[in-house]
Amino acid sequence: MTIPRSFPVFAIVFAVVYAVTYVICVEKNYPLFSYHPAINQFGLGVQEPRDGPVMFWYGWIATSAIVASIAGLIACILPQSLARRLWSGWSWLVPACVMVVFCYLLSSFFLR
Amino acid sequence: MNSTTFLLIVHGLLAVALLGAITHQTLSVWAPARKPAGSFVGRFRGVPGAGYTNAIIVLYVLTAILGGIIYPAYRLEVRLVVEQLALWPYHGAFELKEHFAVIGLAMLPAYWYYWRQPLAAEHTRTRGVITGMLAFIVWWNFLVGHFLNNIRGFGS
Repeated sequence: MTIPRSFPVFAIVFAVVYAVTYVICVEKNYPLFSYHPAINQFGLGVQEPRDGPVMFWYGWIATSAIVASIAGLIACILPQSLARRLWSGWSWLVPACVMVVFCYLLSSFFLR
Repeated sequence: MNSTTFLLIVHGLLAVALLGAITHQTLSVWAPARKPAGSFVGRFRGVPGAGYTNAIIVLYVLTAILGGIIYPAYRLEVRLVVEQLALWPYHGAFELKEHFAVIGLAMLPAYWYYWRQPLAAEHTRTRGVITGMLAFIVWWNFLVGHFLNNIRGFGS
């Protein structure tokens, strides 16, 4: 199977930007849409609870996917000389750091 | 048995398959068998890891999608109980589960690329670390899901 030469650049940038955008979306609450599970309804952006709780998780995933895809595609048009210098380790280092950030952000649940 | 219970069981079965595959691959990359293995553990880590990649990606995505489908039921029925019983570590563990699952999804394109045949020697560390992180996420999510399911017990 032949893949574009720019795919590794896309994959690294996607992993990095997705992880960073996702933690920002969670912390600042930037969902693309909200979901009301009790009444099975969606609404754009941040919505107030309606007849039950409101869920933002799907919206955070969507926001991050859009931002990371755009960033990955932009990175694909970088000159090859720049792209070749991109360290493959960013694809795990940044997501690992974001996982640690989440542990810190949620530590209050374990310390009550 | 309602549809959510059915989907939860399928979600759990897919997770078991994923757990086995990612554990095989992780051991094959971090502790490869150097000679034909005679023991169970030796054979477990002696598998050709690259052969698991596509299956792991498909299983991870399917498990995540099913988890996303049954999440509203958790939000409406289980989380309320967890909060009422003040089981805060369980609540926090589930929050980590949902976030870790998403971060794992974001790493799948890179994971797929670095496991492509023929395996590039210069990416051995990247391949190993990404695989190890995915294994950690899968194990964490499996155990947390299991503990939460056991709070009220099957069918309660």
